[in-house]
Amino acid sequence: MDIATSRNGLRALRAFFAFLVVFLYAPIAVLVIFSFNNSVVISFPLSGFTLRWYEQFLSNPSLLHALRTSVIVATLSSCVTVALGVLASIAIVRRRLVAKSAISALLLSPLVIPYVVFGISLLVLFRVIDKVLAPTLGIVIGTGIHAIVIGHVVVSLPYAMLTLVPRLERISVSLEEAARDLGAGGIETFRRVTLPLIFPSVVSAFLIAFTLSFDEYAIASFVAGQDATYPIYLFSQLRVAFLFPQLLAVSSIVLVVSLLLVLATEIGRRRTERKFEGEVGRIIL
Amino acid sequence: MAELAAGELTQVLAPRRRTWPGTLGLLSGPLLWLVVFFLLPIVIVGAYSVGALSLLPSDVPGGLEIWRRFLSGQSIYLGLFWKSVRMALTASVIVVLLAYPIAYFLALCVKKRKYVLLLLVIAPFLTSYLLRVLAWKVILGDRGVINSLLYFVHLRQPDHPISWLLYSQFAVILVLSYVWVPFVALPIFVSLDNLDRSILEAANDLGASRWKVFWRVTFRLSLPGVIAAFVFVFIPTLGEFVTPLLVGGTSGFMYGNAISDLFTQGLDWRTGSVLAIFLLGVVALLLALFGRFLQVRRIGAA
Amino acid sequence: MEGDIDGVLARRVGRRDFLRYSAILGTAGVLAACKKAETVGGGASGSPRPPVSQEPGTLQIFDWAGYEVKPLWRPYAAQFPGQTPHWTTYKDDQFGYSKIAANPDAADFDIVHPCHYFWSDYVKITKSDGSPVLQPWDTSLITNFTQMNPAFIPDGQFNGQQYFVPVDWGFAAPLYRSDKVHPTEDSWGLLWDDRYEGKITWWDSFDMFIPAAYYKGIADPWNMTDDELNTIKQFLISKKKLVKTFWSIDPVTEAMANGDAWIAYAWPLHYVELKGKGLPAVYMNPKEGRTDWYCGFALENGTKNYYHAHDYVNAWISAQSGQWLVANYAYGSLNTTIDLSKVPKDLVKVFSLDDPTALAEPNSHPEQNIARRSVYQAMWDEVKAA
Repeated sequence: MDIATSRNGLRALRAFFAFLVVFLYAPIAVLVIFSFNNSVVISFPLSGFTLRWYEQFLSNPSLLHALRTSVIVATLSSCVTVALGVLASIAIVRRRLVAKSAISALLLSPLVIPYVVFGISLLVLFRVIDKVLAPTLGIVIGTGIHAIVIGHVVVSLPYAMLTLVPRLERISVSLEEAARDLGAGGIETFRRVTLPLIFPSVVSAFLIAFTLSFDEYAIASFVAGQDATYPIYLFSQLRVAFLFPQLLAVSSIVLVVSLLLVLATEIGRRRTERKFEGEVGRIIL
Repeated sequence: MAELAAGELTQVLAPRRRTWPGTLGLLSGPLLWLVVFFLLPIVIVGAYSVGALSLLPSDVPGGLEIWRRFLSGQSIYLGLFWKSVRMALTASVIVVLLAYPIAYFLALCVKKRKYVLLLLVIAPFLTSYLLRVLAWKVILGDRGVINSLLYFVHLRQPDHPISWLLYSQFAVILVLSYVWVPFVALPIFVSLDNLDRSILEAANDLGASRWKVFWRVTFRLSLPGVIAAFVFVFIPTLGEFVTPLLVGGTSGFMYGNAISDLFTQGLDWRTGSVLAIFLLGVVALLLALFGRFLQVRRIGAA
Repeated sequence: MEGDIDGVLARRVGRRDFLRYSAILGTAGVLAACKKAETVGGGASGSPRPPVSQEPGTLQIFDWAGYEVKPLWRPYAAQFPGQTPHWTTYKDDQFGYSKIAANPDAADFDIVHPCHYFWSDYVKITKSDGSPVLQPWDTSLITNFTQMNPAFIPDGQFNGQQYFVPVDWGFAAPLYRSDKVHPTEDSWGLLWDDRYEGKITWWDSFDMFIPAAYYKGIADPWNMTDDELNTIKQFLISKKKLVKTFWSIDPVTEAMANGDAWIAYAWPLHYVELKGKGLPAVYMNPKEGRTDWYCGFALENGTKNYYHAHDYVNAWISAQSGQWLVANYAYGSLNTTIDLSKVPKDLVKVFSLDDPTALAEPNSHPEQNIARRSVYQAMWDEVKAA
């Protein structure tokens, strides 16, 4: 007998799961359906099939620019996030730390800050820094892509930690020790042993950070400069009603692309994981 | 066996190899980043709230008076805070109640394709948040999907739609639940997935019924995940402003909206900082209370 | 002539008589005003500027959403092919202003487009080295400047220099679907008409206090006393139950088209949008008067595209662009040479484009800088939280 559920329980859980999937996907289906609807009014009944919203968005330079900016911001911030996340998680998992719990708490604390507050705080911080640095050194942090990246790294760092630390904990230290005993330096050990082993998690962390940054509005809206990100563009243009169907078209494409991306990396992740686990198993035994 | 021995050996060798400079090298980057770009800005907002700092030409001196008015409930914002707490609590409880069975199902009942199904639940998180919220307007509106459907099956006249579906607290809580379920399912899933099944079987062998096993063993062991999930949805919801703005109608105004309005509409950064710092204080308090459930290993993704 | 214009400029209320100067007084007045503007404008710093050919070229424009469409700056595109400006859009003036005011050192735009009630705030912003964030225009470089309505020019001047070039204007008034709504009289009162409970939408802004104050007969809604503010606040709270939602960043006409709301506090563009969706709509001319606003371009102090910026503004304020703005967005243009016969008749009528008194008190009230903005905001928060 299965201890988790009875047969009826399993049936109920399955039904609930199905219901939840419908609940989660219904709004997305609505977005996709209306992106093909031949009407400027977003309400039922549908009035015919069209691709013109897609054509319009493809010829809308501001929108395309915003998408490009978001890809740049998301790529940069996820790279920095992963780099910092790997460093911090190695320190947390592999080193004996004074005040370990305080350090972990600090690393995780951005998880719970309301983004409006954080966005404004960052803007004010840059102003204060600039007030000191601008006259003396001539350096201005100000606003811009780099400023958004700074903010996004802060809020996605905890997610990277949450992905990397458990993985690192499951990898035996002995492998790294063996590499060192064979004469590899710290960096070489990391590059040839640790990194390949945690690579699937690095990819997950990268993806999570990327998604978060790509869709983040509150922080970006405060510290963005001339280059608007995709969410900033969405928010400022939303009021202009004739753009609305175009936005649905973009979001449908973004959804499909990100789904494919995640699916591909997930498959890839599983595959490398299986491969590595096989090899690691052979090494240990 | 070999692994265990190697591990023990490492423990012995550890102090020699892992020196502080190395650790400092590892940690200095991430910690410096967070101190400069996370803690420092909060300190600055704190300074702003008490009037130690002014940036706008229109800033008035005297933050302490604003603090006094806020804490004594003379301004509306404290009351608004409690209203938002109530709404955030409701939303968080609903989210956890929805997410738990899903996580349970995936972690303990599904054998094959467990992760593919998990991905199916998480994937909606990848679409633009704003547009997902807007999609609900199309579903819930007076002539939206639900009301059209009701009309179609002759349950309602087109002139008499169910109008509380949209622009109501109901809508805010529904949409917030929708937004957070996929995300919150994760930590619960992890805590259930890491559960040692032999414990459950042992309990069963000792004569406990399924319900008893669930209630006395499974649920208790997954509690850290549940609490983590709860805190994860509760705190951001407390500062939420987009969803109430779009679907909340006249009753959806929340604390996060007030903060956002004070900074970007009223240009009253002093009061805005007071509200922000108060919220952060509450968050810090919650973390102090529930922090032990927020350990990396308890909520980290598998 | 000079003294004559001085007299005109001194009469601040006179500037509201929009078409009196443009259409009735005609070219003579326009040219004279231009002369005046030239003498006060153009006081830019004496340091040598690189010629237009050595400027970077790509303008950075910080503007409202919807103003980046090419028909509004087509002459500039012809002048500088391949140098398409780059836009960042903001959702309202407050947001645009607060971003610049929060960190003026980081101001990285060449041109910004605030409305007149924010102009006096903008000129107060200074960078850390004490220099202002804006610099005045050299109006002699803007050839179309002579075509602009002289009545509005003085408002853009601070310390005797032309910091803002007023260009576009519009109303705020009740908009309703005439297939569903039949007002008993033309009044702002439609926004709290009991018969339409649940079908009304207000703008999510403390600007809602203004029509309510006019409706209640308050003399100066922009400078209300605490008592007056409290009265209006209580009034709005008592009427809040009639309201379906406060619109903000989402398209209000979307809600009107799908039937969630029939009545809205709205701008001219909303009328065009609703019409564009094939719905019968009326943009009301309430007996208490519409409110109106006008906006203008300002130049960032450290701009490296000094001449490009002037040429862009010149293109924007041209009759050609203005005509497109009027015909497509139903926002007014302050260019006095626009040929109204090329604008849809419906728009001319609804927005009284041919009525010299349309923008004059008491038919319409120009929105003004609200000095006690934070108090208004706190009161509006109370309405929303009630």
